[in-house]
Amino acid sequence: MDATFSQLAMLGSSLVLIFGLILLWRRRVPAYINAFTGQSIALAGVAGATGYFGNEPELYWVAAFLLVLKGAVIPALLRRMGRRFGTERELDPYVNTATSLLMAGLLVLFGYAVMRPLVATSQLPTRASIPLAMGLILVSLFVIVTRKKALTQIVGFLMLENGIALLAILGTYGIPLIVELGVFLDALLGFLVMQVFVYRIQETFQTMDIGQLSRLRH
Amino acid sequence: MAPELLLLALSVASYAVGALAALIVRGMVGRALVAVGALVGSLATLALGAWCLATGATLAFAAPWLPLTGLALRADGLSAFFLVVVGLGGAAASVYGFGYSAHYDGRYSLRLLGAMFNVLLLSLAIQVLADNALTFLVTWEAMSLSAYLLVLVEHDQHGTVRAANWYLAVTHAGFAALVAAFLVLAGGDMTGSFAAMRSATLPPATRNVVFLLALVGFGTKAGVIPLHVWLPMAHPVAPSHVSALLSGVVIKMGVYGLMRVALDLLGGGPPWWGGVVLGLGAVSALLGVLYALMEHDLKRLLAYHSVENVGIILLGVGAGLMFQSYGLPGLATLGFIAGLYHTLNHACFKGLLFLGAGSVLYATHTRNMEQLGGLISRMPRTAACFLVGAAAISALPPLNGFASEWLVFQTLMGGALVPHPEAAIGMAIAVAMLALTSGLAVACFVKAFGITFLALPRSAEAERAREVPASMQVGMLVLVGMCVALGLTPFLVVPVLSRALAGLGGLPLTPIGFSLRLPFSVSGVTGEMSPLLVGVGVLLLGTLTAVVLRGVADRRLRIGDTWGCGRVGQTPRMEYTATAFAEPLRRVFAELYRPTEDLSIDFHPKSKYFVRSIAYRSEVEPWFERLLYTPLLSALRGAAVRVRQVQAGSLHLYLAYMTIALLALLVVARWSR
Repeated sequence: MDATFSQLAMLGSSLVLIFGLILLWRRRVPAYINAFTGQSIALAGVAGATGYFGNEPELYWVAAFLLVLKGAVIPALLRRMGRRFGTERELDPYVNTATSLLMAGLLVLFGYAVMRPLVATSQLPTRASIPLAMGLILVSLFVIVTRKKALTQIVGFLMLENGIALLAILGTYGIPLIVELGVFLDALLGFLVMQVFVYRIQETFQTMDIGQLSRLRH
Repeated sequence: MAPELLLLALSVASYAVGALAALIVRGMVGRALVAVGALVGSLATLALGAWCLATGATLAFAAPWLPLTGLALRADGLSAFFLVVVGLGGAAASVYGFGYSAHYDGRYSLRLLGAMFNVLLLSLAIQVLADNALTFLVTWEAMSLSAYLLVLVEHDQHGTVRAANWYLAVTHAGFAALVAAFLVLAGGDMTGSFAAMRSATLPPATRNVVFLLALVGFGTKAGVIPLHVWLPMAHPVAPSHVSALLSGVVIKMGVYGLMRVALDLLGGGPPWWGGVVLGLGAVSALLGVLYALMEHDLKRLLAYHSVENVGIILLGVGAGLMFQSYGLPGLATLGFIAGLYHTLNHACFKGLLFLGAGSVLYATHTRNMEQLGGLISRMPRTAACFLVGAAAISALPPLNGFASEWLVFQTLMGGALVPHPEAAIGMAIAVAMLALTSGLAVACFVKAFGITFLALPRSAEAERAREVPASMQVGMLVLVGMCVALGLTPFLVVPVLSRALAGLGGLPLTPIGFSLRLPFSVSGVTGEMSPLLVGVGVLLLGTLTAVVLRGVADRRLRIGDTWGCGRVGQTPRMEYTATAFAEPLRRVFAELYRPTEDLSIDFHPKSKYFVRSIAYRSEVEPWFERLLYTPLLSALRGAAVRVRQVQAGSLHLYLAYMTIALLALLVVARWSR
């Protein structure tokens, strides 16, 4: 039973991380949105599995919310934004694809190294997957730092959120539902605020290139 | 429900109503609601304080259902006394503010003014009731920020934003010192009650650190020299009823805080604590009045007098702290009473004077005394009120300024009883400085009243001035009444204050009455002086002179120009100016003022015996401020320039900083053991 759960968690977490890595080599916005959708569905799967095996019925709710909000609503909003500036690609990131992948690998390794004491002392069947969540958090941060287009950064932020949710689900079998709901609302609001900003940036600079914002400095 | 809690709830509720009304209702109804909210709240605050003082009731209130706030309130004698100060100042200012803020309608934000006015009063009332560090600091900050926004109301006037920025910077430097002081005092537990701090025993070095931090923190608020720079800038540019509140009440929170921490929480300390406070008080008093003398801006002059009066208050408090550590509780109580009494009196007469200056500003649209004059015939009621305030601040009997300054004198004379020569001599010097201060204050208010209200108007605005609306007169009259009442009843006030102080820092309940005798006995010699007799003598002499003059003088009624000296064709240009009045003192204290003079005379090209125009400019250089603040500011600016390189304006760089910080934290957390 635990072995199955452990393997399922590992599989789900790996999927979540791999969807995250897609951001590093694809250049087109629809691909990012698809990756995010897939990641959210995988995350919902992990939540559902944890709810089933860990006997935490609250996690079903979390899984449902994840599916609706991050699997459907936010991707739809993203697509609408994407249609509006769909032609813009992530052309020249600060770090090229090859180096990015190398860095991502290093960051996942770093995640493993940091999480070692936790994994060593934990008794949870999900313990082996915890470093993957940490890896996803670090990789998402890396994406936000090195990519120039606002949409890429938003997707990076959302994946960072997913990484944190994954860490919470794996490490503690889910934080209380009320907190989880708060986090969802937070993410949604953050997303909406960013959306407004992206429109404003687009209006002001005729581009979504965040690098242009340095022109605001006087 | 106990009456104290009812009054507290009433005051909080009506302040809240006043603040909300300001935001929602516009126009005259809005102004009226703001004034009524503030007035009812202030009266409830006043009643609460008076009730606690009269009955000795204490109020204790904690709000465990607000878990994150840690709100805890408690009223003892000291709190109750400051509640009275807050209520009194707030009530007068709110009535006055109703009329005064009328001309703001459409020009400045009445919503900001009304809402922040009520918030300021609310935070003041809660402030003095705070019973733990967190409540105290939160209300302290609420008070500072609402005062900052109030200073900013006339934001488009010259110098307002600069003054507000100075205020914000200095007050936050002070706030940082206070947070540090309370952190040390509370051992990190900011929601621990003051009772725990009282019973805690700290090593002497730690106590000294707490005292010095508190002195800096509260000194910035009280406007003690050299931390006073913001005060003469910020108080004049605020709306006048706010200035009255700032000068009358808000800066007194520094005195309250100092007494709360040094006397109550720390329970007194070594003699040098009192010595430092005494020295700062003496310097503030003297320099404050000296700089006030050189001011020709009516409200700035009053603001410098606030520095002076805070100095006088601190003379009392400092002497009290010294006597307490020398084991002379009776004299210590007298010193604290003197400080507190002067606090209340200053709230009354300085509030009154700022309201009077506000009326002048309202009627003439200028604060520059050189453009005023002749207002006594145009605004007789304002002039009478201002005159009472001026006489009170000059410590003329029988007004309240005399009563409390007299107590300060009495206390300092008691320094002769201290068996340590350095303390005894220090207090004697303080007596001399206080005497000089009082004399100069009289000179300054002769100037302020004479140039502003007497003689002929020096400008068209002053010529057209009209008496101010009734609500503003009522606001001033309330304080006139208090000045007279507090001046006539010191023998009633002093015992109440000594009861209020009993128990603080281990002070015993000493029955102290007000007397006009000087209890001063040096070993071997017992000297005694009876000012009452002197006063009666002076009065008799005056009456005698008047009688003789009436009998002898030519009694035909003659009407001539004011200060006409028999000349005909008087013009305002022939009048004595404020600059001219202050000139002798500027020469005497030239070393202090270091005035820069600039005289340019434009002669007729044909002959230098015909002068076309003379331009004279003279400025007093606040050199010691420059000495202190210029290096500080340039160091800050240098640091800011260096820090700015980190801030390159690139969003990615900032994100990278955050990521690197996170990675570094993870590394530290993982491998630090």
